[in-house]
Amino acid sequence: MAYLIQPDYVQYFCTCGQIKPITNLYFCRHCLKVRCGFCICHEVDSHYCANCLENMPSSEARLKKNRCSSCFDCPSCFHTLSTRATYAPARQDPAAGDAKVENKQPKKMYYLSCFNCRWTSRDVGIPDQPVASGGWPERTNPFANRFGQLLEYFKAIAQQEKQDKLDKERKKYAIRGKYITLTDKTGLTGAMARTTAGLPSSESSSSAIANFVPSQAKEEVEELPEDYHTKEVNLKLITTMPQRLASPEWQAQLVSRLQPIARPLSVKRSQRCRRCDHNLTKPEYNPGSIKFKIELLAYYHVPEVKIISFETIKPGCTTELLLKLTNPTAHEMQISIIQPDEVPEVEEKEEPKSIEKSLEKSLNLEKDTSWRQVIERKPLLPTTIKLHKPELSFTLAQRDDAAEYDDDSHHETNDIILWRKSNKLALRLKVTTDEEAKVGSPAVAILALQYSYRNTVPPTANSPQTRDHVLYTTVAIHLGTVTQ
Amino acid sequence: MSHNVKILPGATVCEDCTLEGDITIGSGTVIHPRVTIIAEGGPIVIAEYCIIEEYSTIIHKKSDNQENPPKPLFIGAHNVFEVGCKVESIFGHIGEYNVFECRCFVGPDVKISSGCVVGASCKLSAPQTLVDNTVIWGSDHNIREALEKQPSQLLQLDFLSKVMPNYHRLRKPNGHKRQPSRQSTEAGK
Amino acid sequence: MELQDTYYNKSEYVETASGNKVSRQTVLCGSQNIVLHGKVIVQSDAIIRGDLANVKTGRFCIISKGSVLRPPFKKFSKGVAFFPLQMGDHVFVGENTVVNAAVVGSYVYIGKNVVIGRRCVLKDCCMIEDNSVLPAETVVPSFARYSGSPARLITTLPEATPDLMTEFTKSYYQHFLPTASV
Repeated sequence: MAYLIQPDYVQYFCTCGQIKPITNLYFCRHCLKVRCGFCICHEVDSHYCANCLENMPSSEARLKKNRCSSCFDCPSCFHTLSTRATYAPARQDPAAGDAKVENKQPKKMYYLSCFNCRWTSRDVGIPDQPVASGGWPERTNPFANRFGQLLEYFKAIAQQEKQDKLDKERKKYAIRGKYITLTDKTGLTGAMARTTAGLPSSESSSSAIANFVPSQAKEEVEELPEDYHTKEVNLKLITTMPQRLASPEWQAQLVSRLQPIARPLSVKRSQRCRRCDHNLTKPEYNPGSIKFKIELLAYYHVPEVKIISFETIKPGCTTELLLKLTNPTAHEMQISIIQPDEVPEVEEKEEPKSIEKSLEKSLNLEKDTSWRQVIERKPLLPTTIKLHKPELSFTLAQRDDAAEYDDDSHHETNDIILWRKSNKLALRLKVTTDEEAKVGSPAVAILALQYSYRNTVPPTANSPQTRDHVLYTTVAIHLGTVTQ
Repeated sequence: MSHNVKILPGATVCEDCTLEGDITIGSGTVIHPRVTIIAEGGPIVIAEYCIIEEYSTIIHKKSDNQENPPKPLFIGAHNVFEVGCKVESIFGHIGEYNVFECRCFVGPDVKISSGCVVGASCKLSAPQTLVDNTVIWGSDHNIREALEKQPSQLLQLDFLSKVMPNYHRLRKPNGHKRQPSRQSTEAGK
Repeated sequence: MELQDTYYNKSEYVETASGNKVSRQTVLCGSQNIVLHGKVIVQSDAIIRGDLANVKTGRFCIISKGSVLRPPFKKFSKGVAFFPLQMGDHVFVGENTVVNAAVVGSYVYIGKNVVIGRRCVLKDCCMIEDNSVLPAETVVPSFARYSGSPARLITTLPEATPDLMTEFTKSYYQHFLPTASV
């Protein structure tokens, strides 16, 4: 947890070259590589409303424009609105002339109210509703028609272009990936798939293009009122920019025109390794659950390095650094500390693709596999701090939750290993800082770990049968700033 | 400085709070434990049906151009001082139906009318006047005007005045002068 | 970085059989309505209002100095009711924080000087940063990190948050030691 409330003192190098704390990294058991949010594939699992926890399938979510139908945000401060009940005596309505309910008994009426800024739906004259769950009047955008036209037009164009391309290339059938990508769920390729499936015929699309009237700029516009620049402004009556931008289709200029905003939905997402397509994380479907069906985090597979203490870094000095290492796996780990340049190069290196080629590919979404490519590179961090490599390799016991309760510290200790406690041990290392290190610059020491890893994935026919692997990870340790 | 705390019948005042100076507490008002009310610049009069929650502080500060006799600070009825708020008014009057939310700060030069809400963690220190039904909220101290006054807390007061005597040592209502109160050190049970 | 030891005066704290460490300088109103489920630390000048309604905490909770746990009330047509305040396991409440929530899940981190409004629901695994204000009836979803006033979602928490929170509260408890002199 210290990770969440402290700066990231210890950062790991992801395979893609990003430097991140261990909590933000994933570990693919099939590639045996560290991955991060930058180099994996994110997928939408389910849509839900974070307020009422209602779950809905993606088709329904798309229909509702990715907004919850029963929860609203305050248009004034964006806090969630609450429904409040009042006992209002049934008012006599001369227009309706409903004599039955008139003044007989107090009727329960509901209105929306914000507990943060005290905005209520009554402020803008929305009538109270007789049912608690909505039925709130929906406003239609005055330009809804035009939006519909535009949407149709662009869809038609997209389809036409696609058709042209297909004809040109004479491709019969392109295999789509087995997986549903984020763009699929958001409707981009989904819409394309529908059009390629031939739902609207090409004639209708051409008619949509033919009938389309482009917008035209008017030369004459209404003059601003005389007192536009001189009239005093009452800021309490005018909406702020964030308020206008929160509902882009209305952009009410006056506070009295603000309307409750339907709450945007949240998503649960799972994450997938791009190289081998195995899931790295997969949450449970239930929106309230915090459990995962699959959870391949680096925190559970890569030895964890923590700083216990360090001395101030001074140019030309050798200082001590105490580290704590933890083995999070259920198997014994053989660890040795090496210099970062001793980490062997990654063998499988792909030819860097030219930009033109990848551009061409990205235009053709159907057969594009570029998203599967994984960037692998080594980051370069010029460092002025050199680590004294201890000529030592040591074993770290497996994680054992029961061991927490026994208090045995009879393990052997020496100059380097200060103490051992079940799957943890403390190391005393020495670092030397260059004479040239600039005073005031951040002090970062880099070390690499070589560790043994036992893979528990059941072997399959086409995967190598080795269970024990030797893996490497590089770690940057932040030791404050260089001081004189 | 005179040290009288006058508690009118019907008020619920916990013993575990600091009341210093000339203070009058109206009937129906509930004062939770660990409240600090200091009347050093003049008497403080708290009207009926106010709620003053834990760790709130109301100070009537001494000012340089003090009038003689000192002007009292009058706090109107139905005000709610939520947990940890701090009000240091030297103006003679705080209106009715105001809500001072958790951990807010109202400086000495702020004049408060009625039906106002000072949002949680808001700090008002510049001289200003809050007109009726002003609502201040958020770290940017956004201001808007509410449609109506804040609802009264009579139902909550009802509950509190029934329940609190079962759990807290209370100060007895008195119509007349009282010995200066010391801060009770033991925890109220 | 490893957590540093926090020392307390042994005479100031009461340790119960279930491992709760409660300062004597706290206000526990209606203590018969307060359940601390074991290995809970309640530091000085904290207030727990058990007189208003039941307050229950799980295991390994830390209630820091000057914080107030207060069951929230709700108005009904026929009077008000105070709701019980439930708190899960491994919850950290920072200094001078006011918690008016109805439910605080497990593995929740609440910073210092935070105000949690009435009847808020904090789901499992969430974090409220220092100096935030959560207006009344906010629902904070799992793995959300809220900040600001009014607090908004700023980012998500890592998937390993339950383990990180468990480790944090456990090591806080282990590093919360009586001063050697007594």
